[in-house]
Amino acid sequence: MKCEARGVHKSFGDTHVLRGVDLLVPEGSFAVLVGSSGCGKSTLLRSLAGLETIDKGTIRLAGRDVTKLPPRDRDVAMVFQSYALYPHLSVRKNLSFGLELRRTAKSEIDARVREVSEMLGLDALLDRLPKQLSGGQRQRVAMGRAIARRPTMFLFDEPLSNLDAALRAEVRVDIRRLHDRLGATTVYVTHDQVEAMTLADTLWVMNQGKVEQSGAPLEIYERPRTRFVATFLGSPAMNMIDATIDGRIARAPDIVIPIDARFGDLASGREVTAGMRPHDLTLFQEGMTKVCEIVVDVVEALGFETYVHGKVGALDVVVRIPGTAKTGDKIGLSIDPCKVHLFDREAGTSLA
Amino acid sequence: MIRALTLSARLVLLAVALCACGDVDRDTVVLWHAYRGDEERAIQEVARAFERAHPGVRVELLGVPFEAYLAKLEAAAPHGHGPDVFIDAHTRIGAYVRAGVVVPMPWPIDASAYDGATLAAIDRWGAPLSTKCVALYTNVDLLPAPPVSFEELARTPFPKGVYPLAYEADVAYYHAAILSAFGGSILAGDGSYAFDSEAGALSLEFVQRMSREHVIPEEPNGSLVTQLFVSGKAAAVIGGPWMRADLGGAIRYRVTPLPTIGGAAARPLLTVETAMVTPRGAKSALARELALFLESREAAITLATVGHQVVARSDAWSDPAIANDATLAAFHEAVKTSIATPTSTRMQSAWVPTDEAIRKTLRGGAARPALAESHRRFDDAVKPPPPPASPAPALVILGAILLFVAWKITRAVRISEVRAALPAYRYVAHAAVVVLVLVVLPLVAGAATSLFAGTRDDPRYVGFANYAAILGARGGDLLGHGSFYVTLLVTILWTLLNVALHVTIGVALGVLLSRPLMRLRGVYRALLVLPWAVPSYVTALAWKGMFHRQFGAVNALLGLFGVDSIAWFSKFSTSLTANVTTNVWLGFPFMMVVTLGALTSISQDVLEAAEVDGATRWQRFVRVTLPLLRPALLPAVVLGAIWTFNMFNVVFLVSGGEPDGSTDILVSDAYRWAFTRDAQYGYAAAYAVLIFGLLWLMTRATRRMERA
Repeated sequence: MKCEARGVHKSFGDTHVLRGVDLLVPEGSFAVLVGSSGCGKSTLLRSLAGLETIDKGTIRLAGRDVTKLPPRDRDVAMVFQSYALYPHLSVRKNLSFGLELRRTAKSEIDARVREVSEMLGLDALLDRLPKQLSGGQRQRVAMGRAIARRPTMFLFDEPLSNLDAALRAEVRVDIRRLHDRLGATTVYVTHDQVEAMTLADTLWVMNQGKVEQSGAPLEIYERPRTRFVATFLGSPAMNMIDATIDGRIARAPDIVIPIDARFGDLASGREVTAGMRPHDLTLFQEGMTKVCEIVVDVVEALGFETYVHGKVGALDVVVRIPGTAKTGDKIGLSIDPCKVHLFDREAGTSLA
Repeated sequence: MIRALTLSARLVLLAVALCACGDVDRDTVVLWHAYRGDEERAIQEVARAFERAHPGVRVELLGVPFEAYLAKLEAAAPHGHGPDVFIDAHTRIGAYVRAGVVVPMPWPIDASAYDGATLAAIDRWGAPLSTKCVALYTNVDLLPAPPVSFEELARTPFPKGVYPLAYEADVAYYHAAILSAFGGSILAGDGSYAFDSEAGALSLEFVQRMSREHVIPEEPNGSLVTQLFVSGKAAAVIGGPWMRADLGGAIRYRVTPLPTIGGAAARPLLTVETAMVTPRGAKSALARELALFLESREAAITLATVGHQVVARSDAWSDPAIANDATLAAFHEAVKTSIATPTSTRMQSAWVPTDEAIRKTLRGGAARPALAESHRRFDDAVKPPPPPASPAPALVILGAILLFVAWKITRAVRISEVRAALPAYRYVAHAAVVVLVLVVLPLVAGAATSLFAGTRDDPRYVGFANYAAILGARGGDLLGHGSFYVTLLVTILWTLLNVALHVTIGVALGVLLSRPLMRLRGVYRALLVLPWAVPSYVTALAWKGMFHRQFGAVNALLGLFGVDSIAWFSKFSTSLTANVTTNVWLGFPFMMVVTLGALTSISQDVLEAAEVDGATRWQRFVRVTLPLLRPALLPAVVLGAIWTFNMFNVVFLVSGGEPDGSTDILVSDAYRWAFTRDAQYGYAAAYAVLIFGLLWLMTRATRRMERA
C-alpha cells in the first residue's frame, strides 16, 4: 500500500510541530523517519495512524484520501514505544483483540494467533498477562498484535527504545526479517541512527517539523544535503570547521582543508563550513597535505578502534586512529579531498 | 526544667483542690433545662434572682437538648455529675422514675396555688412550673370572630387557596384533642390501648373527611403549618404556645381554646413543665431552696413575662402584666379543658402506632382496619419480654469459640517468632489498644446486649430468644408486615438499586469529566462533588420537602408536563423512588471521584492502541476502560453497598418508613425497636448483630470475586 502525505501542517496550541511535510512511501517499502526529539516525527506517524487530526494537507493510503477518517477505517497497525498492551487481557487475547473487534471467525482468529505466536516464539506465553512478561517479550507481543491483524501498513513508534542494547540489536534484525517476509509497507520512527541506517529502504531525516532530506540511507550518509543531516547521521558526529575559501583549499586558523573538484570553482574569501567525518581523517604521512595537528585531549579506546578527541587551538576535532594514543600527544592529520563536505555558512546547504 | 516541674506540681495541686471543692463545696447548685430563646432568657433571669436572694450562691445552668435529656441524665446522675434540680415535661416522669434519676418531691410545695388536674398530672414527682397544650390561632383578617366549632370553620367561605384550618393532622399528639371530642383517648387508665375503639374510628373518619374536603392541607408538618398561617393561606391553625415565637409580628392573630366538634369540647393533651429533684439534689439544702424558689410566684411572673410561659401558679395570674397578655390568657383558658398526658412509659410505645393509623386513614384507607393494626402493633411493642433463660448454652458456645481461637493461635504461632517480633508488637500496641477500646469492646458489648431483653432498668438474660423472635417474625406471618424477611428484602432491593445507579452515574460522569477537551471541567467537578460535601441529613430533609405532595418542587416540575401530583409517600414504589433518588444524589459523587482517580491510572497509549486496533468509542469504553476501572471500583462498590445497606439518615428522614413502615430498612427498623417501642435495646442489638453478620458475608463474597 502506497502511503502519501502532502503539505501536512499540525500545531499544538502555539507550537507548530509539522510545517508542511511531504512523505511518499512506495508499496512494500520500509521507510524510517529519523530526527532529534521534538522534530515532529512521532506526530507525523500518529497523523498517519489517525490518532492526530492534521490542520492542513492530505494523507492518502493506497490512493484513498484518509485525512478525515478515524484510525479504525485506515487499516493500519501500530507498535507503541510503551507497547500499550491491554493489561487486563492475556497474550492470546491481546493478539486477537483487533480481530474480535472486526468479528473475524473464531477459527480464523485461532489460526492467525497460532501463526503469529509461532513466528514470534510466543507459544509458551499465550496465557500470561502482560505484567508477567519481560520487556523483550512484551515488545514481541506488541508486534504480534500488529501482525495478527494483517494490516496493509505497519507503523512503529520507537519500538526498541525500552530494550537493552543487546536485545535491541537482535530485535532490529528480526523486524527487518519480518518486513521482508510480510512485505507490508512500513513506517518506522526512531531517533537511533543505527536503526535508521540498517532498517530503512528510504530514510527521511526530519528537522523542526520538516523533512530535511530523504533517500537511501547510504546516499544520505555520503552526500548529506544540509549541515544538520551531516551532523545528525554518523557517530561520532562529523567535525564541523568554519573556514574561508582560498583557491583550492579552505583555511581556518592552523587548519588547511583540501577541496575536491566536485565543488567546482568557489570564489576565494567565501565563508563556508567544512565537514570531515572522524573516520575519514587519517594520520599524516609525508607527501600528503597536512590538515592540522591536534593535541590529544581524551582517548576512547573501543578495542576494535580508537577515537581521539583533540584540540586545534580552541577547536575540538574527533578522529579515528589505528592503534592508540595518550593525552598530550601531538598527531598530524590528513584527508582525502573527496571525503570533505562543504556547506554554505549561512544557509547550511551543501555546496556539492 | 525546674520551672516546668514547679508548674506541673502547681497544676496537680490545683486539680486536687478543684476535686475537693466538687465534693464538699455546696455553694453552687446545678439546674438543667431544655429551654431556648425567650424561655431560656426567663430561666436565666430566675436563676439570677435566686442568686441575688442568696449571696455567695451560684446557680449552674445547663441547657440540654430535649431529645438527649434522658440519656444525659442517666449518664451523669450515677456519678454525681448531674443536676440537683431539672426541668422537663411531666410526660417523661415515668421514664425518669424507672431510671431512678428522680425522687418524689422531698419538700412540701404550695399545693393551694395549683389546680387539681395539674397536680394530679405530675403526681408527687415535682413542682409544676408551666403548662402547655394546643389552642386555635386564628387570622383576625380572615376570621373576625373565632369559630365556635370545627363544623362552622369548615363551612366558612375563604378566598381561593386559603385553607380554613391547618395543623399536624397526622400526629397523635394533635389528634388526641379531636379524639377526645368523640369521647376517646389513646391510652386507657389501665395502660391498655384505647384508640382502637368506636370513638377512634369516628375521630379518624372526621379527619379524613376534613382532608378530603380540603378543609386541611395534605401531608402537613410543623413548618408547613406555620408557613401557611404566616402567609395567610390558612385561616386558622392549631398550635401550642411555642408557635408564638415563629409568628413574630407578621400577622394579626388571636388565640382561643379549640372549637367544639358536634357540640363536644375538643380537649387537647396537657404537658406540665415540672421542676424535679434528683437523688443528689434531695440531700442538698440549696437544692431545696432553689426548687421552692422556682415554684414561687415571683419566679412564675418572670417565666410568664419574659418567657411567655403559661405558668401553673394561679396566683401569678393576678399580676396585671400576665393577665393582660391575651394570648397567654387564652392558653391558660385552654389548659382548663385539657387532659393530662399519661406519664406511663407505655405512652411512648403508643405514639408511633397511633401516628401510623392516622396517616393510613388520611391517605384514604379505612379507619377500622388501621386501628386494629395499630392495636396489634402496640401490643406487640409492649409485649412482656421472654422468660429468663439459662446462660449455659451461650457460655458453652462462647467457651467453644475461645478454645477454637486459642487452638488456632497456638498452631499458628511459634514462641521464638513472637519473642523476635516483640519490639514490633510494642510499636503497634497503642493502636491496638485504641482499636480494642473504640471498636472491639463496643461491638462485643452490643453483641452481648442482644442476649438480654426487657428495658434498660430491668434487663433479663433471655439467651437467643431475641434472635428466635426476629427470625420467627415474632410469631406472625413470615412475609407479613414488619417481618425481618420482608425488611431484609426491601433492604437488599434498596441496596442493589442504589449501588447500580451510583456506579452508572458516577462512572458516566467521571468519564465525561476526564475528557481533557471539556471546558470549565474544574467547575463541573466541584459542583458535582457538592452533594457529597453537604451533610446528608440536610440533603435528606431538602429532598423530603421537594417530594411534598402539594408544595414540593418535584410535583411542581412534573405538573409542568401535565403529570398529576403524586403522593410520593403513599405507595411503596413511589416512596422507595423518593428514597432512592435522594440517596443517589448523595452517593454518586463518591463513585465519580473514585472513577476520576482510577482513570488517571489508565494509560492513554492503551486506549490509542485500541483505537488503532479498530475499536469504536463505545468498544474502547466497554472493553478497555471499564475492565481497567474494575480493580478500583470493586472496593468502592463494596464500601458503597455497606454504607447504603446501613443508610439510616435517608430512609428515616425522607420516607420515614412510609407508607406504614414498608420502606424501612433493617437499621431504621432496629432504631424503631430501640427508641420508639419502649426501649427494647436487646431486641435492637440482635438486629444489629444480624446486620453485621449479613454484611460480613457480603464482604467475603465480594472479596472472593475480587480475587477471581
